[in-house]
Amino acid sequence: MKTRWLPVVALVCACGAWSGCDEKLSSLAGPTPSLEPTFASIQHDIFESTDSAGRTACTQCHTNVGRNPSGGLNLVHDLAYDQIVNVTSARKPGATRIIPGDPDNSYLIQKLEGKAGIVGNRMPNNGPPYLTDGQTLILRRWVAIGAPRN
Amino acid sequence: MKRLFVSILVFASVAVSTASAQTSSDDPAALKLAEPDFTLIGLPTSLRLPKFGSSFRVTHRFTTPLNGDFGDLASDLFGLDSGAQIGLEYRFGIVPNGQIGIHRTSNKTIEFFGQYAAIRQSAGHPVDVSGIVTVEGTNNFKDSYSPALGAIVSREIGDVAALYVEPIWVNNTNPLPKQVVDKNNTFIVGLGARVRVRPTVYISGEAAPRTGFKPGVTHGSFAIEKRAGGHLFQLNFSNAFGTTLAQIARGGPVENDWYLGFNISRKFY
Repeated sequence: MKTRWLPVVALVCACGAWSGCDEKLSSLAGPTPSLEPTFASIQHDIFESTDSAGRTACTQCHTNVGRNPSGGLNLVHDLAYDQIVNVTSARKPGATRIIPGDPDNSYLIQKLEGKAGIVGNRMPNNGPPYLTDGQTLILRRWVAIGAPRN
Repeated sequence: MKRLFVSILVFASVAVSTASAQTSSDDPAALKLAEPDFTLIGLPTSLRLPKFGSSFRVTHRFTTPLNGDFGDLASDLFGLDSGAQIGLEYRFGIVPNGQIGIHRTSNKTIEFFGQYAAIRQSAGHPVDVSGIVTVEGTNNFKDSYSPALGAIVSREIGDVAALYVEPIWVNNTNPLPKQVVDKNNTFIVGLGARVRVRPTVYISGEAAPRTGFKPGVTHGSFAIEKRAGGHLFQLNFSNAFGTTLAQIARGGPVENDWYLGFNISRKFY
């Protein structure tokens, strides 16, 4: 290799050293800094936990522990996935709670975002606070990549 | 926009196929009439900076679009009375054929760059080839780092014109974390030309067609320039505000909106 190419190689190495220095997901996740677009994380940080902004855990109402699950939706551990993915809504005929790959038409997303056409209130029912835009974006991403059971 | 790309491509093809190879001066401090500056409008050129020489540049991109009511635009002096994205740049020749620099824009983006001219246009080489690497970060280089790596291939046609093709890969152009996006990189092919229409007057144009993450509208710009000693004064019209590579990769905000701007550069050698 001719020495005149050494600076070019150095430039390539410098670029490689910086690639991958991406934004932190925690900056998007806000009051749930460990939230990731995986079902396990969503289950833990969204469904089962009240976050630091005061948004209440979904399982305060959507549980079969000591009550009937609100809206017929049970989000307790080990049951939640089979309650939402490719499952029709109990309240809105024809709507599917989570359609893998299609966050816009997933009824659970619409309920959390308070979209027009939902039946009942935006979730959580005692909001605000609701999910932040960043939290919703992470939830949407999990749906967009196929809503895997991961 | 497509017309601009096609015009540049056709001009480049014809010029490259008809021009004879030009032997450049070995002295990097010598004035190159066809390539008087280190940038076209936003894209870099392959102009060498002498060792320990330096250059300063200020860029302005006024943010009022030019396609409103003429009377309203005139009353606002075509955007000069409104806000602008301003950039300040300084580059330094650190080794023979190699330069480093810093460019900061008023949206608090800081870009560091390095460029090395590896091949010089000569009888045996029909083109100049330089490597370029940049790293920029938003929020005064505290957030959202976007490195870029590319090549600047240029050809001078006598003292009359210079043509540029610049394949550049820009990483992390999407402002969102990679975990929530499909595309996080942009590959641009910068195309540009500068033509000397009078002894010290130039017209130039550039575009940056791209693939990968490509929001907004593809960057395009044209300009008229006046060289005066070590200064170059440029009045430009662009559809985007970008003056760093990641900004150029991200394109402009709205299709068919064009903005007035200017560059002023000064060489210190």
